[in-house]
Amino acid sequence: MATRDKIYYTEGLPVPETPDLGTQPAFWKKTDLVGKPIPRVDAYERVSGTAVYPSDILLPNMIYAAILRCPHPHARVKKIDIAEAGKMPGVRAVITGDSKEAKGVKWKYRDMEVPLFDSHCRFEGEVVAAVAADSWYQARDAAQAIKVDYEVLPFVVDYERSLDVSVPRVQEKGNLLSEDTYSRGDVEKGFAEADIVLEQTYHTQCELHTPLELHGCVANWDGDRLTVWESSQGVFAVQSRVAEALNLPLSKVRASGHYMGGGFGSKLWPGKYTVISAMLARKAARPVKMLLSREETYLCAGNRPAGTMRIKAGVRKDGTITAIDFDCIGPSGAYPAGGVQLVDWLARDLYLCANVRTRGRDVLINAGPARPFRAPGHPQGAWALEQMIDELAKAIDMDPVQLRLKNVPLKSQAREGTPPYTSTGLRQCLEKGAEKFDWQASLERIRKFNEQNNHLRRGIGMGACLWVAGGGGPPSTVVIKLFRDGSINLNMGASDIGTGTKTIMAQVAAEELGVQPAIIQIENADTATTQYATPSGGSKTVPTEAPTVRNAAIALKQELLAAAAEDMEVPEDELEYIGDEIIWSRDAAKRLRITEVSRLKKRGVMIGTGYRGPNPADKVVNPFAAHFCELEVNILSGEINIIRFLGVHDSGRVMNRMTFDNQVYGGIVMGIGFGLTESRQLDERQTGRLCNKNWHDYKLPTAMDVPLEITSLPIELDDPESNNTGAKGLGEPVTIPTAAAIANALCMATGVRFTRAPVSPMEVVRKLSERKEG
Amino acid sequence: MLPKFSYIRPDKLDQAVAQIQAGNAAIHAGGTDLLGCLRERIIKSEKIVSISGLEKLRGVRETVEGGLRIGALTTITGMAEDPLVRKKYPGLAMAASEVASPQLRNQGTLGGNLCQKPRCWYYRGEFHCLRKGGNQCYAIEGENQFHAIFGHDNICVITHPSDTAPVLSALGAKVQVIGPGGGRNIAVADLHVPPRDDVRAETVLDQGEIITHVDIPPPPAGLYTSYRKVRARRSWDFALAGAALALVMDGDRVVRASIVFSGAAPVPWRSREAEQALAGNTLSDDTIDKVCRAATAGAKPLRENRYKVPMFRGMLEEELRKARLQEKA
Ligand SMILES: Cc1cc2nc3c(=O)[nH]c(=O)nc-3n(C[C@H](O)[C@H](O)[C@H](O)COP(=O)(O)OP(=O)(O)OC[C@H]3O[C@@H](n4cnc5c(N)ncnc54)[C@H](O)[C@@H]3O)c2cc1C
Ligand code: SF4
Repeated sequence: MATRDKIYYTEGLPVPETPDLGTQPAFWKKTDLVGKPIPRVDAYERVSGTAVYPSDILLPNMIYAAILRCPHPHARVKKIDIAEAGKMPGVRAVITGDSKEAKGVKWKYRDMEVPLFDSHCRFEGEVVAAVAADSWYQARDAAQAIKVDYEVLPFVVDYERSLDVSVPRVQEKGNLLSEDTYSRGDVEKGFAEADIVLEQTYHTQCELHTPLELHGCVANWDGDRLTVWESSQGVFAVQSRVAEALNLPLSKVRASGHYMGGGFGSKLWPGKYTVISAMLARKAARPVKMLLSREETYLCAGNRPAGTMRIKAGVRKDGTITAIDFDCIGPSGAYPAGGVQLVDWLARDLYLCANVRTRGRDVLINAGPARPFRAPGHPQGAWALEQMIDELAKAIDMDPVQLRLKNVPLKSQAREGTPPYTSTGLRQCLEKGAEKFDWQASLERIRKFNEQNNHLRRGIGMGACLWVAGGGGPPSTVVIKLFRDGSINLNMGASDIGTGTKTIMAQVAAEELGVQPAIIQIENADTATTQYATPSGGSKTVPTEAPTVRNAAIALKQELLAAAAEDMEVPEDELEYIGDEIIWSRDAAKRLRITEVSRLKKRGVMIGTGYRGPNPADKVVNPFAAHFCELEVNILSGEINIIRFLGVHDSGRVMNRMTFDNQVYGGIVMGIGFGLTESRQLDERQTGRLCNKNWHDYKLPTAMDVPLEITSLPIELDDPESNNTGAKGLGEPVTIPTAAAIANALCMATGVRFTRAPVSPMEVVRKLSERKEG
Repeated sequence: MLPKFSYIRPDKLDQAVAQIQAGNAAIHAGGTDLLGCLRERIIKSEKIVSISGLEKLRGVRETVEGGLRIGALTTITGMAEDPLVRKKYPGLAMAASEVASPQLRNQGTLGGNLCQKPRCWYYRGEFHCLRKGGNQCYAIEGENQFHAIFGHDNICVITHPSDTAPVLSALGAKVQVIGPGGGRNIAVADLHVPPRDDVRAETVLDQGEIITHVDIPPPPAGLYTSYRKVRARRSWDFALAGAALALVMDGDRVVRASIVFSGAAPVPWRSREAEQALAGNTLSDDTIDKVCRAATAGAKPLRENRYKVPMFRGMLEEELRKARLQEKA
């Protein structure tokens, strides 16, 4: 049982299981290294530029690839003419759907299989042809020189209209991809029991992935063996998808990506570009580098789908939430991609509520398919739910923090059998957060401020969350090698996607083995030299890999103890491993440094293998959080100035305070982008094409949009049941309630509910003038 | 990708003029706009003449009359930080410091800022629109939240992107131009071309003409200048609604008013209605209210940019209140 829940990061991936380790090692009561704010083990490489990212790979004779993409949201390729492109300087290979090497090569959008070069293009940016040439520029120019005859087809890009009868079909079966429903209790009864019932519709926009390193890879053949260096969150996912597409045994595909420059979910899997690079490399008999342009990634490398969420909720005067009815619709894009995936999860599970009903409709539109985006579904769901909770609190005249405190769940109500959480830190997040933020006094201060009645109004707001995953789980296998000089190699399949995974693993291994983290060298994310791991996503890398690393270290210690017992001629069970020495418990004078163990000296190396044990049966491991925000709005111009943010997180044990705080800061910045500035704009009423495909038109928040004051407050609860390190996931909850907290603060500042994200100055002015007129 | 072009960097003005005249050459100053335009095939030139070596066109000097002469190659940062600019026309320094991002301000020049191409996303994207020689404006029926509410005549609805032009226009500045036919000067207020005159041109400059300097007349006694820009994020973004004010005050009375908007129209938009409502009056609540109403009375908003009407009003109200406070202080 890999995971109780089917989580997106393993979806569609064959997930091998590792053996049950049996008994787990005891929970650490005190730690020397784990939890300390140790700078990243690879900080120097990253900062100095010596770290080799896939984008940096340069091989002898390497050439460059470019893809020609469909410029229409919906079209059929009638004819492709590559004659001119093929003759252009430097061109070494051209592949189109007509090429013999493309025949029979398939690609899977989730479970929907299509030809890799599909003449039926269902979104702008779909692959039409590919070129490899001696230089980057030659490849791009040659791709442009390919002549394509398109039959332009009618399209739909507005998801709210995709189910209308008259709109064109994206796929033959129609535009409703799936409809999921969930229900517990009786919502109608719940509404009848409520003192107040409120209903509101919320909208969130489509957000585009913008990792700093572009999507892409270098592909190189050595005989029948393919090596791919890919900017990826999971090299084993690259290996299996490429092997499947090219019909190769896994052993013949090596995927590697030691460093990578951000993915946020969009690099959990490889892309068509990966397979195409391999095909071009084979055809040209050269290593091929392909990096998509930013414009291309905006078209085809994923997004957080937009959503419309209608929520109706009932509450009693005492703060009992009697019913929640949640309905959402959102687009996967042109292919199945989880258009409403997990959007309703918080409505189902965040607060105590006996009667809940949800419905999610995933629809198709002629636009690039979604990919998981940091906490899929959750920031959207929080946008609706957390604003509704504030409205309910206002309606019953209760403080919004208090209303949430009244409804903290200790069990997961939405899972079968209502299993308890190993820990629910939500109460502490709310209480300690309100205290640290000075919530009560701030309310007073701000009321006074706003009484001056000038054009600047202040507000504070908060939002809470849990994250559906974040407990980690099998499979994972880690090998620790001890060399005869006492130095250590930690061999792990998982990627460090920039979160500090490697640093934390070094701390865990060092803690257990009594050595300094600096002598541990980490080799990771290479399918040829490391063990299988699932992609780094779902906030599960630390809770998956850290316990495995610990198990590997313990296995190594056991090997050492057995070997030392021979050397010391005492029974093994009378030996103890303390620091980096083995000591006889009956006489501490009898001791042996690990480097003196003769088996190690003779073999040169000793190995400990660790497996990820199972998660606790019938319990759920989820992280919890609350965000608090203070802001100022200029009601004349609509400008919003975020003054301060507090992120309070229960993610179990803090493994490294520096990397922990980094996640909180980064998540809040990303949440500010979601709440205030970022939004994909399609030319909905005319061409269906993407309007904003550069960094000026697609507005990421700048340093000026982010408050100077962001505070991270960890709630460190002992959670020995979660896993043998007690750590829960963090990387996604940090961005879930951010935008909702902003919206709640805006509501306090202006008295207006901003239901539509992002809240730009345009939206503020629009809503405020509506109020004036209305 | 960038098209092929030749690149020449003369160090004498007359050579530059001769080079630009020969062939369909484009002028390169800081290149911040030009390179993007070449990449997007908005400018199709096979020859680039860089004027960046013309040191004489760089820097700010005080004229004998007490005004300023700013070289076209002066960087935006150079203007924002120049003590004379800050002292005489604080509004111009404010505008310069609100342009783009620090990197772009360090590289971009005043001449380039006045001559930059519009930022309409259809125009910059792969849409063959009217301004590029096509037969349709995509923005009129399309996604036009960032487009114009004044002066577009439903032909082309771009907003003029420059932050410096509105202030210079309000100050009555003139650009000095040199070209194949010799020199001339043009009021900044007349430099830009409304779509009804020519939808394909942004400035009245002839092919081969170079802006060498911008001359700003001496500040009259009681001059108050300011620039305000509302945008969707706080750096690296163009104006949603902006205003340059140049008010000549006599005590608390406004003797003369120049009000020029950015983010409003295909050219820096002089609001004569607002100016008239203001001139001769004190900055009372009542006047401010009238001025703001007058400013947007003639607006022709599009489907997605109706918000600009209240935004311009609100922003102008705030600016006039600030001016009042300043005068009282
Ligand atoms: C992402 C981005 C954001 C921006 N944001 C803003 C903003 O918020 N506000 C704002 O005002 N501007 C903004 N800009 C525009 C920027 O200020 C201009 O690009 C810059 O000032 C141009 O100066 P340059 O020297 O680089 O011009 P170049 O790129 O060298 O030239 C621009 C154009 O002007 C012509 N030209 C240049 N100098 C002369 C001259 N002396 N005589 C005749 N023609 C000339 C060139 O031929 C070319 O067509 C932004 C630009 C970018 C790329
Ligand atoms: S507004 Fe002007 S530049 Fe934009 S699409 Fe219309 S014609 Fe082209």
